[in-house]
Amino acid sequence: MSILARLRSTLRTVFRRNQAATEVSDELQFHLDSYAADLVEQGIPEGEARRLARVALGSPLRNYGEIHRRAVGLQLLDETLSDVRYGIRGLWRNPLFAITLIATLTLGIGATTAIFSVVDRVLFRPLPYPQSERLISLGLTQPLEPQEFAFGAFFYDWSDRQQPFLAMTAESAVTSSCDLTENNPIHLSCPAVLRSFLPTFGIQPVLGRNFSVEEDRPHGPRVALISYGLWQDRFGFDRGVLDRTLQIDGNSVRIIGVLPAGFKMPRLQPVDVLFPLVLDEAAMRQAGAKGDTGVALSAFGRLKPGISLKEAQRQMGPLFSDTQKIIPPEIRKDFHLCVRSLRDRQMQDIRLTAWVLFGCSLSVLLIACANAAGLLLARGASRQRELALRSALGASRFRLVRQAFTEAALISIVSVCAACLACFVLLRLLVASFRIDQPLIADAHLNVRVISYAISIALLCTLFFGTLPAVERPRSIALSGRLLKTNSRAVLRQLMVSGQIAFTLVLLALAMLFVRSFKNLQHQRLGIDSGQIVTATITLGHKSFPSPQSQMAFFERLEQRVRFGPGVTMVSVSDSLPPSPNHTATRFFSLGLPGRRPLEEVPGDIVAYRWVSPGYLKTLGIPILAGHDFTSEERSSSESVLILSHRLASRLYPKQNPIGERIQVDRPDPKGRWYTVVGVADNVKNGGLAGKDEPEYYRLRRDRPEDWDSAGAWSRTSVVAMRSIAAPSIFVPWLRTQVAALDPTLPVEIETLQSSIEALAGQPRLQTMLVSLFAAIGLILAAIGLYGVLAYLVTERTQEIGIRMALGASRNQVLRLVFKRSLRLIVWGSSIGLILAFGASHVLAILLFGVSPDDLATFVAMPVLLIGVSLLATFIPARSAARVDPMVALRSE
Amino acid sequence: MGKDVDVLQGTLNLLILKAVSLGPLHGYAVLLRIRQLSGDRMEIQQGTLYPALYRLEHGGLIRGKWGPSDNNRKAKFYTLTAAGHRQFAAERQKWESLAEVIGNILGAENSPATPALTAEENA
Repeated sequence: MSILARLRSTLRTVFRRNQAATEVSDELQFHLDSYAADLVEQGIPEGEARRLARVALGSPLRNYGEIHRRAVGLQLLDETLSDVRYGIRGLWRNPLFAITLIATLTLGIGATTAIFSVVDRVLFRPLPYPQSERLISLGLTQPLEPQEFAFGAFFYDWSDRQQPFLAMTAESAVTSSCDLTENNPIHLSCPAVLRSFLPTFGIQPVLGRNFSVEEDRPHGPRVALISYGLWQDRFGFDRGVLDRTLQIDGNSVRIIGVLPAGFKMPRLQPVDVLFPLVLDEAAMRQAGAKGDTGVALSAFGRLKPGISLKEAQRQMGPLFSDTQKIIPPEIRKDFHLCVRSLRDRQMQDIRLTAWVLFGCSLSVLLIACANAAGLLLARGASRQRELALRSALGASRFRLVRQAFTEAALISIVSVCAACLACFVLLRLLVASFRIDQPLIADAHLNVRVISYAISIALLCTLFFGTLPAVERPRSIALSGRLLKTNSRAVLRQLMVSGQIAFTLVLLALAMLFVRSFKNLQHQRLGIDSGQIVTATITLGHKSFPSPQSQMAFFERLEQRVRFGPGVTMVSVSDSLPPSPNHTATRFFSLGLPGRRPLEEVPGDIVAYRWVSPGYLKTLGIPILAGHDFTSEERSSSESVLILSHRLASRLYPKQNPIGERIQVDRPDPKGRWYTVVGVADNVKNGGLAGKDEPEYYRLRRDRPEDWDSAGAWSRTSVVAMRSIAAPSIFVPWLRTQVAALDPTLPVEIETLQSSIEALAGQPRLQTMLVSLFAAIGLILAAIGLYGVLAYLVTERTQEIGIRMALGASRNQVLRLVFKRSLRLIVWGSSIGLILAFGASHVLAILLFGVSPDDLATFVAMPVLLIGVSLLATFIPARSAARVDPMVALRSE
Repeated sequence: MGKDVDVLQGTLNLLILKAVSLGPLHGYAVLLRIRQLSGDRMEIQQGTLYPALYRLEHGGLIRGKWGPSDNNRKAKFYTLTAAGHRQFAAERQKWESLAEVIGNILGAENSPATPALTAEENA
């Protein structure tokens, strides 16, 4: 018989409930009438006949409705509905209990859901490529370039001889930009990739095709794929876009395809136009032999099935040894082979922070669940009598357990709705208080994945705290109305409270360590005066600024314009600004001092440097310790001058005055220029807020082409720093008009130096804020949990306390009784918590700045705080125990 | 009453299907028909009839339709559906073979062992 027919009959009964009931009773009425009529015919009096007919039918007429519903499979529904009604009535009767329970779970589920939405992209969601877990990034690393990279000179060799990968590919390591020079000129991001790039990543263009063999060779046709966004904005999804030409940097480029909507470059840089990386393969293959490195690449591969990262790393070892031959011997030791997952490459150090946040939010959830279970257990205990009664009236064990689960599910459903709301609010707050480009914040949304996560967590919770109260069988002795001592319950609850205390201590300790670390980060000496400084970062395009002279002229004109702007006191132009770690750097031993033997080579020893204009040190407030600052005259002089940081000066010239000494900065290069040291400046923070500070030197950028053409793509970006007493709200728009007056198409990033420093501290701030929040929630929940257990114990032992007092126990002795019980829980919980916290702080030591992972203050203050709060939570039930009136207590028996 | 025969739960369905297979019947008429077919030797407990009818209807074996009764009142008449026909045939087949086997067992004389077993023993 068909399931469909059954379903139809079931649904009919559900949705036409009244009709079904009427039909059942009509049919039975007809039956009764017919039978009674037959009986009357047999000579039985009418009244008696009706009575007999009813008796013959067995169950009373009104029960037949239920019998019918059961027959059509509605028993489960009916019972569940009645359980739900019963549950709601129960919660309604005790609103304080219901609110506490739901608030607790809302906090727990809300916290973990919000964090899940923050860390999902970093930890769990697959990258937007098919089988992305098999994609890896590989190459060399060195202290100057900790992100792995490859050179054209060995890429083809690796690609030919490698074993562990299905395919290898590469993109240009240089992040490049280009200009669309048609009507409405705009500035675009245009990375270049090998022909093997899209197939290796498993990306199919939504329109058109990948590059062909001719197109990624030198002198091939100029073609490009465009991004989905550009297709939308510029061409309105016109399918005729293929074979159209774009004017890019003055060249005609034919569009051969459109990238899919969610496409991301493996290094996450923006992409508007994707060019073929035109490489002369033959030249690259021979480059190594000639001592040349070839172009810089970022290389990627797709692992063969069954090959692990470790295995791949091992198999690439011999190829790496061969590659080392092309590296100059004096720096060979600095280079290492790196094979890591693409996810690691993309997420960098955020992953640890993400795990910390996720772990902390799960701890809060556990604490909340333990509280909820504790509350339900306590209520279960006070409902023993009711359950025993129901059991005596014929409710099966299964029925009672189901009732408990229905109630738990009811609570979970309400909580999960509230939690999604709470999560939404929390995310809004986070987004509002952080810059949107903060990597963890940028991807935090309440989406289907996040909501399903919340629901699955709620299901698990339901299982957890629904099972606990259900495990005990109601005993008929409970009918007598005495409160039973149920040891198993009490032990379970006490275990849970100790666990809560332990987890809370871990959260508290981490929170305090992070707060202290963050304070150190904020209050450290940066070596610069960042107040009132506004910066404008400008990258000049190849098309409009082809020569070093034109770049130089642009910044000179801009400097002239802003010099007399609102409230401007100082202006400087440099290629980068501290304390960000994004500056150029060189190896320490490549500094050459005349008449001295070459500097000792220490792997990983690097020196930062910047190209600056004469006002740089003054604008940033970096004091000159010896010699003099760069002057405007030196800018047009033929001599190259240099200022050393104090740290570098004392390393190079420990015993002598460096002023007037000469230094060569690119020592292996025989044509390297000679510089004269004219001053020594104070140290500044230059490795990020938490990074290691490097020795540093400043080069004056003179009005000469060679000073503007030294670092390839780097030299196209400059930062103009202005100290202005005008408010940024006035100054920033004004500055924008000044840049636009020189070149309206030029993209410019304007921000205050303060805000870029704050952005550097964004991740620690996020981490500190959230972990502190979780610790506070945990503390409150643990206190509530402890209070609940003790209050219950006191109620349970009221009689006993009454007897003790009647026999002469003093109030103090009763207080001690409760405190003794409480202290045992607190001491156990804190001891375990202390061990866990100690382990956690050591694992997370690299996230700490200026605080030791076994920071004494933390490991004293936090247990003290926790114990203090716990004793406070003990005090209330203890006091009510001490106030027990022996007469009342004894009479209640 | 001596004519009462206990009706096994499974056979009740079979009897109802048989009764209904002869033409549309309302609930009370199903009782009367079974009594009549049994030669007054079997009476169905009224309390068990309707739950059985509900289950059969829910299972799609019989279909209930409201229509006028002999004395012109509204009554629910049950007919056998196609699925009911198939089920009835199958149940009947099962019942008959079971009855035959049990009848054989009960009717067997104290005879020598079956030929097969004897053959094996001889071997």
